Amino acid sequence: MQKIKPQQVIDLAIEAGRIILQSGGTTNRVELMMRKVCNCFGYPKTESYVTPTGIFISVKDEYGSIFTSIKRIDNRRIGLGKITSISRMVNCMQLKPPSEQDYNEQLIDFEEELKKIDTENPWPSWLKDLCGGGTSGFFCLLFGGSWAEFAVAFTIGVIVTFGLKYLEKLAFNNFLLNAIAAALIVLLAKTIDIFVPYIRLDNIIIGGIMLLVPGLSITNAMRDTMSGDLVAGTARAVEAFFITVGIVAGSASMLKILSLWGY
Amino acid sequence: MKPFDGLTLMQFLWAFLAILGFSIRSNLKGIKILFTALSGGLCWFFYLIVLYYSKSVLFSVFIAIIVVCIYSEILAPRLKTPVSVFVTCAIIPLVPGRGLFNSMQLYIAGDNLNASKTILQTLLIAGTISIAIAIVSSVTNLINKLMNRF
Repeated sequence: MQKIKPQQVIDLAIEAGRIILQSGGTTNRVELMMRKVCNCFGYPKTESYVTPTGIFISVKDEYGSIFTSIKRIDNRRIGLGKITSISRMVNCMQLKPPSEQDYNEQLIDFEEELKKIDTENPWPSWLKDLCGGGTSGFFCLLFGGSWAEFAVAFTIGVIVTFGLKYLEKLAFNNFLLNAIAAALIVLLAKTIDIFVPYIRLDNIIIGGIMLLVPGLSITNAMRDTMSGDLVAGTARAVEAFFITVGIVAGSASMLKILSLWGY
Repeated sequence: MKPFDGLTLMQFLWAFLAILGFSIRSNLKGIKILFTALSGGLCWFFYLIVLYYSKSVLFSVFIAIIVVCIYSEILAPRLKTPVSVFVTCAIIPLVPGRGLFNSMQLYIAGDNLNASKTILQTLLIAGTISIAIAIVSSVTNLINKLMNRF
C-alpha cells in the first residue's frame, strides 16, 4: 500500500488555508479546515497556528518525525463565495473519507478542485460592477437620497468598483487603497455636481463610502477574539481601524483640495 | 414616521437590494444570496422599529445586530454556509458610514467641538456592533458545547 508523503498533504492543506484566509475567513475556520484535510489523508496528528498574515502548520507522521511549513499571506480581500465553496468541499470529504487505496487519486482530484475554486468566477465581471453601483445607489436611497442622487451614486459605484479591480492589482496596502478609492469617490461626486443641478453631495458620498467600510474586518475581529484567537482578533481590529482612517484621510484631503481650488 | 408604514417597507427594500448587490460582488452564489440580502434588510428594519419605540440610537443598533446575528446563527448551518459570511453581509447597513463622513466634514470646517461629538457617536455605534456580535457568538459557542456534552 502506498501512503502519500506528508509534504504533499501539507501543500494541499496550506493551499486550502491560503484561499480561505485571503478571501476573509476567520482564523478559527482556517485552522479547522487544515486539520480536517490532513486528517482525511491519514495524518491525524496535526497542529496549526494561523494569524491574518501567515499560516504555520506542522504534521507528525507515524514514525514521529515532524514536517513543518510556513506560508506568508500578503493581500486579503472579500471573497465570501470561496470560503463557502471550500468549507463545503472539505466537509463533504470528511463525511465520506477517501479509502487508503485511492489516496493518490483523491489527492489529485482535491488539488484540481482547489484550483477550480481559486480561479472560478460565478458571476460575470460586468454584473459585479453593476452590483457595486447598485449597492452604492441603494445605500444613497436608504440614507434619504432622491432618485436623481440614486442615479449619480449608481454611476459612481460602477466606476469605483471597476477602478478598485485595477488598483488591487497594483498591490498597495489597505490604507492607501481605501484612501485612493475614497478620494476617487469625492472627486467624481464633485465633478458630477458641476454639471447636474439640485443634488445633495453628502448622500452620494456616503453611498460611495459604504462600498469601502470595513464590515468584514469588524465581524472577523470580534468572532476571532471571542473564539480565543487574541492575536488574530487584535490584528483585524487594527486593520478595521486603519481602513477607516484611510477612507477618512482620502475623502477629507480630496474635499480640502477641491475647496482650495474653488469648487 | 410610524413603524410598519410604506416608508419603512421601502427602506427595508433598499437595504435588501443594497446587500443583494454586496453579496453578488463578493462572489456568493445560489439561493443563499437571497437570505444574506434578507438579513441586511431585517437589520435595517429592526433598527427603524426599535428606534421608533425607544428613541435611542445605540439601543436600536444593539437590538438589530443581536436579532440579525441570531438569524445568521440559525440559518447559516442549514444552508451549509459559514456563519461569518452571513454576519458580514448583515451588519453592513448599520456600519456608521454617515457618522464617519459627517465628523470628517466638521473637522475640515474647523468645528472641533461638534466633530468630537460626532466621532464619539460613531465610535460608540461601532463598539455596540462589535459587542452585539461578540455576545451572540460566545453564547452560541456555549450552547454548542452544552449540546455536545449531553
